[in-house]
Amino acid sequence: MARYGMALDYKNCINCKACEVACKEENGVELGAEKHRIWVGGNNPEGQWPLLDIASAAFLPSQCQQCDEAPCEEVCPTHATYYDENGVVRVDADKCILCSYCMNACPYDARYVDDRTMTVDKCTFCSDTRLARGETTTACQNTCPTKVRTFGDLDDPNSEISELLRTREHFSLKSHLGTNPKLFYLT
Amino acid sequence: MNFIKKIIPMKDFTLRSLMQFEKTPLNMLMFVITIALLVAFGWGVVEYLVHSHHAYNITRQHPWGLLIAMYIFFVVSSTGLCIVGSLGDVFGFKDYMAMSKRAILGSIVTILAGFAVIAFEIGHPVRMLIYNVLSPGLTSAIWWMGTLYGIYLTFMIIEFIFLMRNDMKNARIFGLTGLLVGLAAHSNLGGVFGFLNARIISNGVFYPTYFILTAFITGIYLTYLMYGFRYKMQIPDDIKKGLLGLAKIQALLLGILMFFETWKLMTAVYGGMPGRADTAEHIFHSAGFLYGEVLCGMVIPFVVMLATKWQSIKLYVFTSFIGMIGIFFMRYDLVHDTQVKPLQMMKITEYQLPPTWIEYFPSAAEIAIGFGAIGIFFMLYYFGQKMFELDATEH
Repeated sequence: MARYGMALDYKNCINCKACEVACKEENGVELGAEKHRIWVGGNNPEGQWPLLDIASAAFLPSQCQQCDEAPCEEVCPTHATYYDENGVVRVDADKCILCSYCMNACPYDARYVDDRTMTVDKCTFCSDTRLARGETTTACQNTCPTKVRTFGDLDDPNSEISELLRTREHFSLKSHLGTNPKLFYLT
Repeated sequence: MNFIKKIIPMKDFTLRSLMQFEKTPLNMLMFVITIALLVAFGWGVVEYLVHSHHAYNITRQHPWGLLIAMYIFFVVSSTGLCIVGSLGDVFGFKDYMAMSKRAILGSIVTILAGFAVIAFEIGHPVRMLIYNVLSPGLTSAIWWMGTLYGIYLTFMIIEFIFLMRNDMKNARIFGLTGLLVGLAAHSNLGGVFGFLNARIISNGVFYPTYFILTAFITGIYLTYLMYGFRYKMQIPDDIKKGLLGLAKIQALLLGILMFFETWKLMTAVYGGMPGRADTAEHIFHSAGFLYGEVLCGMVIPFVVMLATKWQSIKLYVFTSFIGMIGIFFMRYDLVHDTQVKPLQMMKITEYQLPPTWIEYFPSAAEIAIGFGAIGIFFMLYYFGQKMFELDATEH
């Protein structure tokens, strides 16, 4: 049993989107722009050429924040959304009734409908694939050329992620909502 | 049939007599409208069964559409009619006694129409019935809303049976219980939106209370429409007194609603809080809000009632029709406005513009099912009128 989390050194992101491709390939995510478990957000640079504010054109890789207090889990009427033994927020497709309440409740737009099962799907930290095979990396982390992502056990003080969170300043997205995400953005 | 008649008194009818009605122009118009709506509903259901949710224009960013709005429209109507029906048989106001049977029948058929809509919105309705019991999500407002509405419908049916048997004591007990469960269910429906921390325009106490207030208003609008149609504007005196009383209540409720709405918008805009103020301003400039909610739903009925000093029932029947159009926009806007602000404000696909407001317009299948369910309400109400004696005034 672990408590998995992820640290993102997001300033290293070059928007190559290899993580998006790896996620789709590893987890068999449907094709289509709307069907994605992870994504890289980007801003257009502000200002007028040639005085462009390059610093404003940041990339922000993101996905399900694996909240400790997940709104999607709270609002699910049939407990289809649950925390597994590793603290990962998962969806039991057999129980999902597709009321879409979780999609509305998730502050991060991290959920989508899988048209094959007609249930809601989301990032599982590769629980059904890599973690199930005994590996301790995720597809997005493994493929990243600039090592943006560090995945590991937050309860293990010797893990790389614990070390990073002890030594680097970090923030979480929409932390004011009290969701306690397990994705940490390193500054 | 005799066994059923022992439980609930019914008129003598045959299948043939159920299908026969006086061929007046108004009745014929209602007949044609009802059939057209039922055909539309059937077509929409076929579209859904063939194409699943692809028949709808809902998206990842806007997962709730017209069908959720129409479900709310019907269940709000049901709660409202339950409140109006309770005025007489639960709270003992004599002026409203004669309305109880018709209002309670209305509350039953409206919620059935609502269930017909939601059955084609929920992806797995049968699974819902199973896991609602086997794996209840007690922290979910949808679970409480759905479960309480199920119990509410049961109580409404039992109350109706006792009303038809003229057993006012038991009707009162089940009526009061049904009313309380209905109010709990309905405020939970408001809670479905109020609990959404991610949607700050909807988050908070407003919707759970607003739903009860607008339910009462909707119930009064529908009572006017039902009696206007039943008596072709020649309202008998015993009903007239109650309807005139309802007009005064309606004016008061509309005044409170306008007061609430004004403060909701002002507090939303004040301070310019990102995500809330800009959304409120966006809502304020939308035609649905201005012409639908404000003008049709509130201002026109309120002004008409004030100008006529609560004495013109015929006029109120027409304004109630306008009012119901406004109520529809209230439900539609509530659902749409909750989702209109994108949760993801960065562009995630190359060569796209950064997200602005989320746009949504219902598909033909959504329109067919959503509005077609009004035909289900008309049909069930018509059969209810044919099968039960709803006009008895003496208890």
